[in-house]
This record gives sequence, C-alpha cells and structure tokens, in this order.
Amino acid sequence: MNKLKNALPAMIQGLKNAYFPEPLVLGNGKTVQPKRSVMVYILPILTIAVVFSANIIGFDIGVLIRRGAQFFVIVGRMIPPDWNYIPDVIGPLLETIMMSILGTMIGAFLSLPLAFLSSDNIIKNKAFLWTLRMIVSLFRTLPILIFAFILKYIFGIGTFAGTLAIALFTWLIMTKMLYEIIETVDMGPFEAIESSGASRVRAFTVSIIPQIIGQYISIALYNFEMNIRSAAILGYVGAGGIGLLLNEKLGWRQYDRVGLILFALLVTVYVIETISRYIRKRLS
Amino acid sequence: MSENIQRMYKKRPKDWITKWSIFLTIVALIAISVPYVDYKGLTDYGQEIAKSIILGIIQPKLSLLFDFSSKEAVPYLLLETVCIAFLGTLVGSILALPFAFFSARNLVPAWLSAIVTFFITVVRTFPAFVYGLMFIRVTGPGPFTGALTLAVSGIGMTAKLYVETIEDLDKGILEALDASGCNTIQKIRYGIIPQLMSNFASTTIYRFEINVKNASILGLVGAGGIGYPLISAIGAFRWSDAGTLLFGLIVLVLIIEYLSGRLRKKLATGV
Amino acid sequence: MIQFKNVVKTYPGGVQALKGVNLTIEQGEFVAIIGLSGAGKSTLIRSINQMHQITEGEINVDGQDVSKLSGEALRHFRRKIGMVFQSFNLVKRTTVIKNVLAARVADMPLWKSLLGVYSKSDKILALEALDKVGILEKAYVRADMLSGGQQQRVALARCLAQKPQIILADEPVASLDPLTSQQVMEDFVKINRDLNITVVANMHHVDIATKYAKRIIGIKAGEIVFDGPSSELTNDHLTQIYGRDLQRDDFMGVE
Repeated sequence: MNKLKNALPAMIQGLKNAYFPEPLVLGNGKTVQPKRSVMVYILPILTIAVVFSANIIGFDIGVLIRRGAQFFVIVGRMIPPDWNYIPDVIGPLLETIMMSILGTMIGAFLSLPLAFLSSDNIIKNKAFLWTLRMIVSLFRTLPILIFAFILKYIFGIGTFAGTLAIALFTWLIMTKMLYEIIETVDMGPFEAIESSGASRVRAFTVSIIPQIIGQYISIALYNFEMNIRSAAILGYVGAGGIGLLLNEKLGWRQYDRVGLILFALLVTVYVIETISRYIRKRLS
Repeated sequence: MSENIQRMYKKRPKDWITKWSIFLTIVALIAISVPYVDYKGLTDYGQEIAKSIILGIIQPKLSLLFDFSSKEAVPYLLLETVCIAFLGTLVGSILALPFAFFSARNLVPAWLSAIVTFFITVVRTFPAFVYGLMFIRVTGPGPFTGALTLAVSGIGMTAKLYVETIEDLDKGILEALDASGCNTIQKIRYGIIPQLMSNFASTTIYRFEINVKNASILGLVGAGGIGYPLISAIGAFRWSDAGTLLFGLIVLVLIIEYLSGRLRKKLATGV
Repeated sequence: MIQFKNVVKTYPGGVQALKGVNLTIEQGEFVAIIGLSGAGKSTLIRSINQMHQITEGEINVDGQDVSKLSGEALRHFRRKIGMVFQSFNLVKRTTVIKNVLAARVADMPLWKSLLGVYSKSDKILALEALDKVGILEKAYVRADMLSGGQQQRVALARCLAQKPQIILADEPVASLDPLTSQQVMEDFVKINRDLNITVVANMHHVDIATKYAKRIIGIKAGEIVFDGPSSELTNDHLTQIYGRDLQRDDFMGVE
C-alpha cells in the first residue's frame, strides 16, 4: 500500500507530462518542446470505443464463462472424426472444388478485358475510366455470400448460382489487381506497336500481356485458393458444396461427422495451396 | 529464300507443344468442372428479381436509410456491424499476439515454431463463417456471438501476418542496444516494440476491413449485424428494403476501405 | 513524299513547339534533324505519324493530309511508317523474333495475335528482316540478353517487318556507345539505299548526323533555321541552330 502511495505522485506527473509535455532544456541552453505522443489520443478513444461497442453488441462475460467451455467440448467431439462418413462427403467436396475451378477461370478470363478498360495508361478518357472503376468498386464491396444468395433466387438452388457467384466475385477482384499491375508496366513497346498501325487492343496483346502473364497466373491461383474456402460455405445458402452438409451435421450435433467435413476441407485447402504455391514460385 | 534463312526457320522453337498443352489443360479443366454445374435456367421470376434488386439499390428507401431511432433501420444495423467487427478484431488481434510470438522462427526453437505454425494454419483454413456456425451453438444467436466468432477466426490470418512482421525484424537494432548495455526488457521496449507497432497496427486495421464484411455475412446465421435483416428482406421479396440495406452496406464498406487505406498509408510512411 | 505546310503545334498554355514549319522530303531521302533538346525535333518527327497532333497546317504524305486522319484510316496509314526509339521499346522478356513479329499484328485477326499464331510467311519475313540488320543468329534469343546495339537492330528489323515506306527514328543512337552507334547508323544507310525507304532521324550528336545523313535540317525554337546538304553545314550554321557554341556533349566522337 505504501509503495502505491509513493508511486502515485510520479504516475500523476507522468500522465500530466504525456498530455502537456514540458519543454526540455538541453545542456547548451537550447530548449526543445517534445510533441504529444499520438498514443495519448488513441488510448482514451479506443477505451471509449470498446466500452461503447461492448454495450451495443451485448457483451456478456457471464455467458462467455458459462458457455465458453462448450466450444472446447464440441471441438473435443470432432476428434477423432467419423471416417465412415467419407463417401458422403466426397460428392459435395468435389462440387466445391469444381465450382471454384470453373468460377475462378471464368472470372480470371473476363478480368483481362475489364482491366484493359480500367487502366489509366491505356484508356485516356478520364470520365469513362472513373465511372467504370467506381462501378467495379461498388460491387466489390459485397461479400460473395450475398452474391450467391441473390443468384440463388434468380437461377435456383444448386451449383450454378455458386459458380456464377464465384465467377462474378473473382472477376471484380481480379480486375482491380490486374489493372494495378498493368499500370506498372513498361509502355515503350506498346507505344511502338501502336505507332506501327495496330489498334490499342492488339498492341496490348502483343506488348503488355507478355509482361504481365506471370503475375496474372499468380493472382489467378491466389484467387483460386481464396475461392475454395468461400465455395465451402456457399452451400449454406443452397448454392452447392459442403456448406449445407456442414450446417446440417452441426444442427444434429453429429460432431464427429462435422470433424470429418472440416478435416476434408483442411486437406483439400492444404493440397491446393501447396500446388498453387509451387506454381507461383516457379513463375517468379 | 536464302540458305541461312531456311536453316534458322527450321531451328525455330517448337512452342506449339507448350501452347497446345496449356490449351488442352484449360479445356480439360472446363470439361471436368462443367458437369458439376447444373443450369436449370432462370427461376419463374428470376428476371424480375434481378431487376428489382438493382432498382432497390439505385432508389433506396430513404425512410429505412435514415431512420436513426429504430433498431431495424440501416444506421443502427450498420453501427452494430461495425461494433461487432471492431471488438472482434481488437480481441482477435490481442489473442493472436502470443501465437505469433511462439511461431516466429527467430524467437523460439524450431520444433515449437513448427507446432504453433501448424496450429495457426489450421485455424486460418476455415472461413469465419464456419466458426460462426459453431459458435452459434455455443453462445446462442446475437451480435455477441458474431464478435466472438471474428475474434477466434481472426487469430489465424492475423497471427500469420504478425509472424511475417516479426520474422522481418532488424536484428541490428537489438545488437546495438545490447552493446550499450540494455537488459532484455529495455531491448524489447526500445528495440522490438517500435519496429513492430506500426506494422501490427496496419495489419489490425486491414483485418478490421475484412471483418466488417465478415460481420455482415455472419448475420446470415443470426450473429447480428446487417446480414440477417438483409437475408430476410430478400427472402420475403421485399426488394426495396433489400436494396436499401445493400446500399447501406456498400456505402459502409466503401467508407471503411477508404479510411483504412488512408490510415495504413500514413502508418507505412511514418506518422 | 512528305510535305509540311505551315505546320504549327501549340500546347495548351501557349507554348509553341512548331511555328510554321514548311518542309518537303522526297521518297528515299536520308534526313537528319538536329537542334537543342526541346527545340521541336521530337515534335516534328512524331507529328508525321500523328503520335503528336498538330494544331494548324497540313502534313501531306503522298498527297494525303495525314494530320487529320483518325481511327482505321490512321492505323492504315501508320502501317507504312516504321518508328525506332531511343530506348528500343522491345518487350524484354520475349525472344527477338517474337518482337519482330509483333509488327505484323496490325493486320492479323485478334485471336491470332492473342495466341501468338503467326503464319509461315510472316516468320520468314521476320527472319529476313533480322538478316538485313545482321542479327539473324540471335533470332531465338531473349531480347534482354542482347547488347544495346543489338536491341536497336531488332527494333529496326521490327520496322522492316512492316514493309514501310518511311522510317522515323527518334534519337536512335543516343543511348549507344560510339562504335555501336556507327554500326547501327550504317544499317540505316544500307536500308535507305537498298530498299529506298525514306529515313528521317532526330540526332542528338552533330557528328553522327553529318557523317551518315545526306541532308540536315536544323531546328531552333520550333522553326527551321537550316535545311541543306550535310556538306554545307558550317560552324556558323551550327551556332545559329544551337544558339550557343557547341560543346563536347553535342558530339559523339567519331570522325
């Protein structure tokens, strides 16, 4: 207790110094006024934000303590997984993989022309460029699940909606990644081919595409990796894949089967990421 | 045609092999994946739906959009979504710290790093949604569960990014501090922490951006935020409401992306 | 035949890069344009194939006013004009022959250029172009593996693959050392002589210009102040063109 009492004045002084730093006098007589550290603004704001948010979302530590252990119970029941369930998982898992493959390919393929139209070193009409990029950005904000959900109503339940959702989403994301790459490219050969009488599209084909092809494949593979994971949950809204199965098994508390599904997902993602990483390394 | 030219022409690389294999691979991939896609054509009112949604977004229902008092209206829902993301990211980032430190190869022995890295990779594999499905069964529906989900699922990716920062640490600074006689705590405080802080902060902000989007879809399973009202509006064919909610979501994400980008740029170039 | 009639180029903001240029160049001539940086050399050359657009006047090539062309007509016209750049402008990562073949895409269907499917005659044409500039053996080598001089020859071969009437060269040897510069300039001379292709070249270095070009055009502040055979270029003329005494930088160091 005494220790605290003695430390108190120093702490108060320290706090005061943080908010109102005193000028320091150097040995040679010059004074330096230290600036307030940014942290003194951030910490109080952060604290208030935390309290406010906790309130809004109904943070209840009691619930956490009481039910928290349940999480580990569930995880416990997932291991060991129910190996007998494998045959039932293969089908939906393949659906997930195929949806990702096709969706990513379509999205990647379509992103080339759209990125072409969005690059400021090729398209000189600022208004057009800005409008196009704005529209792409707008749609890019939507999570893929929303796409899938809406598409389900338009095209019906099943893998088509899922594949289309992946294709659209990948299209938008890759367009941005691609035009950012295109804008860093050496425009010299493009200028040369354009001066030989070729249209901008043809000049692009023969002078810019060779420069970006490696990166293009790399980002396509990266998106494919991401899409496999998203595809897994599209099933939840009925757009194909193992998402629905997962939810079902959770609902019926068949945690050992849930464990298997998760395990299958894990293995799939791991294999794909390894292959993808290998190819991407070879490309650079 | 001169002899030389003929000779060179014969020597030309047979790149048709590469081209054809790429072409065939692509065709093969398409061929195996297409059968899995069952196109049933448009649903009965598929076209209508598409049009209605677009209309709903372009002409949002202003009463829903600007109603600041109701918990069902856009402003509150967006606020709730942001709060879920905020707390989830904050807690997740703090939780990720120990994992990151124990997985960094320049801080702990190789065997420990391998185990923890494996763990992080496993956690990272599953999208937040999967955790959401699980946590709903643990803590019930509601925004609190959403925040919890984001906290736990975020550990994976956040820890991985932290590890990258840690492994890039400039050891030279530590050596200099060592040489001037600092103890471990001082080395950590003056040598390690400053280097890490700005990168960690940048990572956290980036994670927050992602989590705002995650929070909106967690709502689908009932974990709060704008997700559930959105889904029920679409499901009940209340296109105007759905469009309005989508509009709100788009605006929110755009603002967050913009602010996040600005902040992270400032951090990178030294605030 | 290239004809400039009262050509003016004014940039927004008032700066005049070309002030009433009148010029006639017959088919098969070898002309070098000299002058200070910013005097208008580049603008002059690039207005011929509309890489820069003029604000007033006419530029006639074989009787057609090409300064007003656009779209498909412009592209059609540009096929007759090859251009060589100071920085070579090759696609570094691809092979020499692919760079030369790129000159053919203007006439090819899109899918063929996308997939890199060139006809046998195109490939032979490209090889012949490479042979003309003396680097046939390097046809299948990656472009960035070549020296500067060799790369510029590939660029020249690329022009030849267009089967052009006119070749414009924007400071083609400014990045090269004296020896290589001379080799490249000799290629230009050979092409001009053997194929009767008009060569209009911007030159940074006066000695190279006078050594290889038959006719010199001196530009100062957007106006032509000298136009005559290179043999008639005197030091007084040079001082007038450059507005100052010549320095070492203005010479590459060849005799």
